Amino acid sequence: MSPPQRGRGGGGGGGRGRGLAKGGGGSAVRGRGSESGGGIKGGNKVLVAPHRHAGVFIAKSKGDALVTKNLVPGEIIYDEKRIFVQNEDRSTVEYRIWNPHRSKLAAAINIGVDNIWINPGLKVLYLGASSGYTVSHVSDIVGHEGCVYAVEHSHICGSDLVNMTEKRTNVIPIIEDARHPAKYRMLVGMVDIILCDINQPDQATIIALNASYFLKPGAHFMITINANSIDSKLSAETVYQKEVEKLQMEELRPTEILPLDNCEGDHACVFGGYRLPRKQNS
Amino acid sequence: MLILVETPAGFAVFKLKDEGKLANIEDLAKEFETAESARKIVKLKAFDKFDNTSEALEAVVKLHEGTPSKGLRKFLKANCEGETLAVADSKLGNVIKEKLKIDCVHNNAVMELLRGVRSQFTELLSGLGDHDMAPMRLGLSHSLARYKLKFSSDKVDTMIIQAIGLLDDLDKELNTYAMRVREWYGWHFPELAKIISDNILYAKSVKLMGNRINAAKLDFSEILAEEIEADLKEAAVISMGTEVSDLDLLHIRELCDQVLSLSEYRAQLYDYLKSRMNTVAPNLTALVGELVGARLISHGGCLLNLSKQPGSTVQILGAEKALFRALKTKHATPKYGLIYHASVVGQAAPKHKGKMSRSLAAKSALAIRFDALGDGQDNTMGLEHRAKLEARLRNLEGKDLGRLSGSAKGKPKIEVYDKDKKKGSGGLITPAKTYNTAADSLLGQKPAKSEDGEESSKKKDKKKKKKVESEEEAEKEEPSKKKKKKVEEEEEAEKEEPSKKKKKKKAEAETEVVEVAKEEKKNKKKRKHEEEETTETPAKKKDKKEKKKKNKD
Repeated sequence: MSPPQRGRGGGGGGGRGRGLAKGGGGSAVRGRGSESGGGIKGGNKVLVAPHRHAGVFIAKSKGDALVTKNLVPGEIIYDEKRIFVQNEDRSTVEYRIWNPHRSKLAAAINIGVDNIWINPGLKVLYLGASSGYTVSHVSDIVGHEGCVYAVEHSHICGSDLVNMTEKRTNVIPIIEDARHPAKYRMLVGMVDIILCDINQPDQATIIALNASYFLKPGAHFMITINANSIDSKLSAETVYQKEVEKLQMEELRPTEILPLDNCEGDHACVFGGYRLPRKQNS
Repeated sequence: MLILVETPAGFAVFKLKDEGKLANIEDLAKEFETAESARKIVKLKAFDKFDNTSEALEAVVKLHEGTPSKGLRKFLKANCEGETLAVADSKLGNVIKEKLKIDCVHNNAVMELLRGVRSQFTELLSGLGDHDMAPMRLGLSHSLARYKLKFSSDKVDTMIIQAIGLLDDLDKELNTYAMRVREWYGWHFPELAKIISDNILYAKSVKLMGNRINAAKLDFSEILAEEIEADLKEAAVISMGTEVSDLDLLHIRELCDQVLSLSEYRAQLYDYLKSRMNTVAPNLTALVGELVGARLISHGGCLLNLSKQPGSTVQILGAEKALFRALKTKHATPKYGLIYHASVVGQAAPKHKGKMSRSLAAKSALAIRFDALGDGQDNTMGLEHRAKLEARLRNLEGKDLGRLSGSAKGKPKIEVYDKDKKKGSGGLITPAKTYNTAADSLLGQKPAKSEDGEESSKKKDKKKKKKVESEEEAEKEEPSKKKKKKVEEEEEAEKEEPSKKKKKKKAEAETEVVEVAKEEKKNKKKRKHEEEETTETPAKKKDKKEKKKKNKD
């Protein structure tokens, strides 16, 4: 994690500041925080520093907020707050605040997951896209070179999703049941990561089927488990264990299990790899 | 062997050069890791490009339905003679086999092959780079999504869900406004609120008279009954309310107008809902009624979703909170949810409601499936099921009556001891037996209390059947009749139940009346102990009733 550096105008710090400010990448730039959100008050000076995960940033003010760089400047999905940062060459970079209460991926990043495996330029398959809130942030991270295939079965959320994707050209909306990947096989190529947030009791089978169709070998996946959706009678830990076992049987080897504390109910996030090469005994 | 691959740009057929590779699935993945090795395994044989997005959309939609489109058929005919075709969807494979006589294959090896091809697609398909593919992919996905979404607007059950939601909202609003009218006008004419209890009539009256001074002159016969009108006019003269100005009355009248128009609209909406329900789900309506049917559909989200639920779910839809709480704490789950309000369950006696709810839910699930997925537009199936359910209800009640009138052998039913069964005292089977002086022979004497007991019991028996009543009277006079034993037992037990609930068990002070009636029977019926324990309470109650009766006269 590169330490945030304050760019001071004029004086001894001027030269340092000039050298730093370059399109927001790789260094912290002092920005004007307008439309406050998450503890960031309007008009305050906000610092935007890159997060450990590529493509994600942290906005530091009185409170910290997770932000991603807006792929489509000027557009917001529902009513999230934005942060504008001025570059040296007077252009503004727009960042959108990522709310961990609305998005489980943001919650996982806040809690401190080792690796989210989403990098700029990657192809992502997102099952359970809903209205497209998290999908929009993932699309911000992967950028124009990457692609997000957003699968959502419900029609009401689906129409919101389609509206969102009209502006974002790197998201492909698919209004289908994720249980039948054959139905959208002509739309999806091979992907580098599958994100799964569908809350169905058979979600392990669903993600395995989609992985067998579309996931590259050696690639990764993320699945959120809602203990109540799988089996409301068992305790949360038992449910997580059972799901992990089911995944392991399908060649989806989990590397991290993260309980999400700030969500209502019992949720956990599981990150892992698909068809990972076996470690050689040296 | 040939491989069929569908892409956003068109259909592609690849030739598998070395069929032996299929035997080793694991290595297949490795073979496709680089473009060079991939090209050694498969080669592009033919590619049929879609002319435009609409053609692509049509082809894909047909694929979803499971049939090959015309373009695909032509393409396959031209290129796949005499070879087996590997497909991604076995259903599609079957259809192709039927229609085009081309053998199709679908198995794990094929899936691996497809994975490999897909990963190296741009290399294998020379002349079509990733950049060309991307806009086509985007276009196809958007048009497909739009097609899917538009299709759903044909569903008519969304109207029902909205209508029932609006109906509930209207009821709430109507009640709020009506209460407001009462309160507001109550400052001017407080007595009216007690005279007219119905909200709509209240609003109409207020609208008609405005200031209460006008009440005497006006004619309320269209709105109110005569007595109420008389009361109103009387009260208007001596009312204690404040004076209000014309401007105030204007606003109150406006509010009344609102109330009246809302209630009219509510009636219209209800009619609309009824007609819609009969069109969309006639069988369900025949079984449970329009309102309950609409609520079930609204709860399930749409008729199709509801049709996927089993009967047991339909039974407890609406009682989810109780259900999951019971499941988590390992208690008994609820017996009914929304279905409780159906007339079939409402008509049943309390102890049969559970059974009727279960049967009704089972039949309703069938009716829902028929309505959602079937073709018929009539409700004959629903009516038949309804008749069956009502027959079942009669059967259940008949069984009860049979028990009431006693079995031919006259042997009492021996109940299994169950300490959790909440009938009277939980643990006791029979209380200790003591000598009962009332059992002494009373030939030639009619104890005074028994007569009063009769009268009071007559008063109490308004709800019960006359036959049983007369039987009971006869019983009191001739306690030795065995036939009607159990009738009276039940009755007394039922009488005593409410009194028992109100009063705690006290020390037993035996009275002649009850004891005479009972001791003759020598019954071991389950309720006996409870009766004996509450012997004095019915007698006390009877005494009280006698006093009251005397006071009134």
